Amino acid sequence: MALLETRRLSKSFGGLRAIHDLDIDVEAGTIHGLIGPNGSGKSTFFNLVSGVYPPDPGSSITFAGTDVTKSPPHAIAKLGMARTFQLLRLFSEMTVLQNVMVGYHTHVPYSLLGTLVNSPRTRRIDARITEEMSELLEIIGLAEYADMPAAELSGGQRRLLALGRAMATRPKLLMLDEPAAGLSPVNVDNLLSIVMALKDRYGLTLLIVEHILKVVMDTCDRVTVLDHGEKIGEGSPTEVKDDPAVVEAYLGQEMDDEEVRQAMQA
Amino acid sequence: MNLLLAPFRGLVDFFQALARIHRIVPWLVAYVFLLPLPEILSATGNDYYIYLTNRILIFILLSVGLNIVKGFCGQVTVGHIGLYAIGAVTSSLLAINYGWPFWAAMPAAVVVTGLAGIIIGLPSVRLEGAYLALATLGLGESVRIMIAVTPALGSSTGIMLIPPPQVGSFVFDDFQKYYYLVMTAAMIGIYLSFSILRSATGRAFMAIREDVIAASVHGINVPANKLLAFVISALYAGAAGALFAHMPPGFIHHNNFTIIEMVTLLLMVVMGGIGHIWGGVIGAIIVYIIYDNTLEFYHIQPLTFGLIMVLLVVFMPQGIGGVIDRYLVTKRFVKLREEKSDGAA
Ligand SMILES: Nc1ncnc2c1ncn2[C@@H]1O[C@H](COP(=O)(O)OP(=O)(O)O)[C@@H](O)[C@H]1O
Ligand SMILES: [Mg+2]
Repeated sequence: MALLETRRLSKSFGGLRAIHDLDIDVEAGTIHGLIGPNGSGKSTFFNLVSGVYPPDPGSSITFAGTDVTKSPPHAIAKLGMARTFQLLRLFSEMTVLQNVMVGYHTHVPYSLLGTLVNSPRTRRIDARITEEMSELLEIIGLAEYADMPAAELSGGQRRLLALGRAMATRPKLLMLDEPAAGLSPVNVDNLLSIVMALKDRYGLTLLIVEHILKVVMDTCDRVTVLDHGEKIGEGSPTEVKDDPAVVEAYLGQEMDDEEVRQAMQA
Repeated sequence: MNLLLAPFRGLVDFFQALARIHRIVPWLVAYVFLLPLPEILSATGNDYYIYLTNRILIFILLSVGLNIVKGFCGQVTVGHIGLYAIGAVTSSLLAINYGWPFWAAMPAAVVVTGLAGIIIGLPSVRLEGAYLALATLGLGESVRIMIAVTPALGSSTGIMLIPPPQVGSFVFDDFQKYYYLVMTAAMIGIYLSFSILRSATGRAFMAIREDVIAASVHGINVPANKLLAFVISALYAGAAGALFAHMPPGFIHHNNFTIIEMVTLLLMVVMGGIGHIWGGVIGAIIVYIIYDNTLEFYHIQPLTFGLIMVLLVVFMPQGIGGVIDRYLVTKRFVKLREEKSDGAA
């Protein structure tokens, strides 16, 4: 059984069918790519499986063997699903360290009462959490900014923090929504190597939405292509690249210069 | 600005140094410092100043509590004074009708108010912003109206002869004695709110304030934590209400719980810099002094306070807390950045 399975997954916004009858299997241990033109429903897919939007009736989502179709986001997160957002949604006024510590929330093994009396046990646990989180910050290269408000980071650092915050939940499945958007080529490579290091170290399964085709082609084991909320292709990166339906979907849309440039690079 | 704040900076450094010995040390030192305050104030020969101090301390409890739900958790509530009223009335009635000593009546009132906090907080599960404000305003104001029309709750005459707290033969029956009680309560309240802020729960509250959706996908049960924030702030309001009720002369009236008090309380938190604990404390001190000295202008108080609030939000959104953070507290990352820019120069 796949780690994440959707069956007949659908979502309409008013008359707009953002996702329609979508069956996707993300196998444990793989890197799965999700691509498609702008507005094809990739972010909506993330919002559905992570519980942010309720899917339409008739849909089914199974994660780690549990039916999560109707589960709230925090319950799904507890089962081991983490995601980033295309627009990051960092906790801007909180420090970098606090951001990742929020990610660790469900693993904090003490109650509010324990904190109030500030027992030695609580202090020990707190010290351990801080240490673990600092280690994570080390991996994503933000350790020296631990006490800086997230709002003051640079664009690239913010993307790294979003990644670190998601990783702090100790997920089985990490879903990245355009993690490299807006990064310079050097930073794209840096981000990718960090993602790969995290995957190896924590045995992650990855689902990556990415516009930069190079990223998808270089890293993914399997790719699903969406257009207008429907699956129009699936397979290994090379299979997908040569699929006429996919090529047409990509060529049929208006691309801005940046996208054309990136498509050419790939 | 820097020169003006230099003495405070010394104070902050002093307390920060104490905190390095142990987290509790600065609190104990501050407590000892504050103990002789009534003696100093009574040298003026005017009891009013001690009375004012006590009222301020009660409002500090309210303001620190409101900061938890509004400042940490970002939930707009205008029903807080209703909770304060519930705490005051519950404790009074338990003491008068059932003869409960203060030490039993107050905790019971705190628990009752905490439960009422769930009700005030329920709309937050569905509503946000202005809608939530309206819902909580309605709930809070209906508490006052209930009190005003129900004879058993005091109605128009209020509740009188609420007995003062007592330990053995020591009765907290004048302002000076009562000061020790409310000062201790306020200190504990502030200390606990720092503990909450530092805890995983505090981080969950702030995450909800910053971004509800991001908080939820990182494993935070948003509705439950919103309610928890309301309940915690209600516990503060309950304690403040009970302390107010039993303070000499032991009299409460529904006029103590109007929208004027609510606006005053909101102004304390806004002036302090929403979500800043010390800011909220200083805000409470400043605003309450203004409030108590302009009582004869009660008809324009809400309007004036409301206007000040709007001006603060526009021109000084970080409030006093912002000033504290910018000028008084040395932060590691600020130092870090200075070092960096030095290196580059
Ligand atoms: N909350 C929403 N309300 C209404 N329409 C939405 C909402 N979210 C997404 N959509 C619409 O659904 C379609 C798919 O959007 P999205 O999933 O963001 O695409 P992608 O991430 O592939 O670019 C778009 O037409 C978008 O306008
Ligand atoms: Mg998108």
